[in-house]
Amino acid sequence: MDQQGQNGLLTTYREGWRNRSVVGLAISLLLVTFYVVLYWEHKVEEQLGVAPLTAVSEAMGLRNRWYLYGFLYSVAMVAGAIYYLRRHGNSRYNRFRITVNVAIQIALGFTLPFIMPLFGGKEVYFSYFWPLKYDYLYPQTLADLPLYFALYTVVGSLIAAPVMAVLFGKRWYCSWVCGCGGLANTFGDPWRHLTSKSTKSWRFEQLSIHLVLLIAIATTFLIGLDSLIGSEHPTFHRIVAGNDWKDWSIKSFYGFAVGSILAGVIGTGLYPIFGPRVWCRNFCPMAAILGWVQKVGRYRIKVKPGMCISCGNCSTYCEMGIDVRSYAQADQSFTRASCVGCGMCAHMCPRGVLKLENSWERPEDKERQRLSVVDF
Amino acid sequence: MRIVIIGNGVAGMEAALAVRRREPSWDISLISEESDHFFSRTALMWVFSGQMSHRDIEPLERDAYERLGLRRVRARAMGVDTANRLVLLAGGREPVPYDRLLISCGSRPRPGPWPGSDAYGVGHFVTLQDLAWYEREVHGGASLGGEPPRPEEHLSASASDSPYRFRQVAAERRGRLAQQPAIIGGGLIGIEAAEVAVTAGLRPRFFIREEWFWPIALEPRESRWIASRMSQHGVDVHLEHEVETLETDDDGNVAAVRSNHGRYETDCVVIAIGVLPNTSWLAESGIELDERGGIVVDEGLQTSAADVFSAGDCASVRWFDGTRRPEQLWYTARDQGRVAGRRLLGDSPRYERGAWYNSAKLMDIEYTTAGLVNWNLDGEKSWFFEEKGKVRSTTRVVVQEGRVVGFNMLGRRWDHSVLIRWIEEQRSLDWVLGHLNAAAFDTELVPPLQIPGA
Repeated sequence: MDQQGQNGLLTTYREGWRNRSVVGLAISLLLVTFYVVLYWEHKVEEQLGVAPLTAVSEAMGLRNRWYLYGFLYSVAMVAGAIYYLRRHGNSRYNRFRITVNVAIQIALGFTLPFIMPLFGGKEVYFSYFWPLKYDYLYPQTLADLPLYFALYTVVGSLIAAPVMAVLFGKRWYCSWVCGCGGLANTFGDPWRHLTSKSTKSWRFEQLSIHLVLLIAIATTFLIGLDSLIGSEHPTFHRIVAGNDWKDWSIKSFYGFAVGSILAGVIGTGLYPIFGPRVWCRNFCPMAAILGWVQKVGRYRIKVKPGMCISCGNCSTYCEMGIDVRSYAQADQSFTRASCVGCGMCAHMCPRGVLKLENSWERPEDKERQRLSVVDF
Repeated sequence: MRIVIIGNGVAGMEAALAVRRREPSWDISLISEESDHFFSRTALMWVFSGQMSHRDIEPLERDAYERLGLRRVRARAMGVDTANRLVLLAGGREPVPYDRLLISCGSRPRPGPWPGSDAYGVGHFVTLQDLAWYEREVHGGASLGGEPPRPEEHLSASASDSPYRFRQVAAERRGRLAQQPAIIGGGLIGIEAAEVAVTAGLRPRFFIREEWFWPIALEPRESRWIASRMSQHGVDVHLEHEVETLETDDDGNVAAVRSNHGRYETDCVVIAIGVLPNTSWLAESGIELDERGGIVVDEGLQTSAADVFSAGDCASVRWFDGTRRPEQLWYTARDQGRVAGRRLLGDSPRYERGAWYNSAKLMDIEYTTAGLVNWNLDGEKSWFFEEKGKVRSTTRVVVQEGRVVGFNMLGRRWDHSVLIRWIEEQRSLDWVLGHLNAAAFDTELVPPLQIPGA
């Protein structure tokens, strides 16, 4: 039977592994260790004499450790999706969204990139765009890509993704397509209540996500400039791109700090401590851009007036740390830049107060009854 | 100006925020026996199941009182000396002087009238302390969400008849957690107490006096669906049971519920037969109470005493039908709190109750109502449709003299504000059925309700 809201009560706080217990911390440590080995396997190999992930991937016929990662990623998403849908699959929005997201990961995030080299093609990821896939607008990368994909990535990153976000909100990407969001909403779902709702965490997010966006744009710009003038200015080229992939340069620093540390080690490794959207909420430059666009687009969370009982289910289960309750009890329909449209607030609401929708009609800007101190 | 507010619930907090918003320097004190922090009482069931923590059900950040300069007094109010403008406190605490006073002290659970109602293992599900008791009976204690801060802080300034004292736990006396809970009373708190027991892996008995569950809001066709969902989820629903006694064992722990249909063994009983205005402490204060114990207020929420106002569950206000009684709802308490806040500021707003509406969640079935339903109006007729497809729902439209006057909806989500507008516009049944989906508030991708022939 299809139902609107949540079916049966959750026992979240009665499960230790979901609440920063020893088991929860151990899971986090395991994930962090995995990412450290994944990104810096050559250092591990120097120390131990073995490259564990490469050995496993070769034994499995997966060519290299990145395909092993893609495989494990897909398995984690499928397992997490089963966990998620057993709890929330009575809602059509959840069912469709998670199914599409997992299917895209398996097809475009793993299978296609794995198969393409077999036919002599270059592996490409149709489900990622700049600036999340930060090198997709580097001139050298574009030159190396097949022409059709170079066009796809330029049009997709600069035009299609923002236009879609105007029409449907950033959720079309962050909650239906993106692999990072997909892992968060499946494998990471058991920890979604751990995302901080404090005002401090909101301030941190606003600062950090825009800082990363700034660095992403600056890095792309400098690397673009380097492709024009780098050959005449060797020092500039050395600083921006480096002469060897092992050199510390702006390019490799971005890959290290943002691509490996923030997106991988912290962004996923700390799911069991800070909730599953650490990367998406605080650091993802694509989320920052789509968030701006979302603010001027059609997407919003509509609030039914006068019915909120301030119970807090919406805020508790918001993986982005939005204090949804503060808007609901103020009867204020709203669009927050960080909202990825996972639909959980509307799903958890026991009074049917919240509804995700796309509409050009602007929510009336009545003076907010500011019960929440967040906006007092 | 010294503002004193008795009660740290939604009415009191709304009033405090309204005053602070306009008067940054006024002295505002909140007196609460139950809790350090304003919390959502409607959310206790989720704390019990482990769906939320105590922190999660608090709408404000915990440093809000300090940031807003709201002073807190954690003690039981024992009376109001209106002549000297003092609130008297229990435990020999210094009385609190006021220039303007708001009494928003809420409800207390209605005690069981049966012999054995005060046995060990018998309690309610209304206050934070009730929650702690019930958690200890069924789960052996709080979830990993923890306890509220300073849970016992008020005990040195309490009174023996306070609803905020902790009950002795039969499970601890017996050395065994409750296995067979029983819930008495067929209303919303009852169904919540039953649902959370199911989540704990138990099979509660649910004793309901009436012919069907929640007759004040539902008719038999609607209620049957709810009852069958309860059974499917593992609640033993006992309709038309008149409870006679709560039997105890030799240690004074509850052992059985005896009703007009027989004896049913139990080891934990939740009495959920409604709430009463929490006003017995006002008996000597000379503030006028009605026969239900509600504080009588005028249209501006002023009591019989000068500069003393009342809002929320404890206030007897004028309803849309002209009667005067307490309104025990979250959003009316919030609205009254906002009006009371303006009264404390010296304005003279009136509390005007609009059309009736409400919502609930009965197990996993959502309920929305608007207008006049179950009022037995002259010549009223109900148009009823039960949807049994991919989505299950019931739709009931109450019509009087060709005009739609009420809606009772189960299963789907509806925007009550649209339904109320149609009632005010005196729409006909045909018009309403033709436009019904304009009031739909279903989540995305849910197919709209299709009524054959409409």
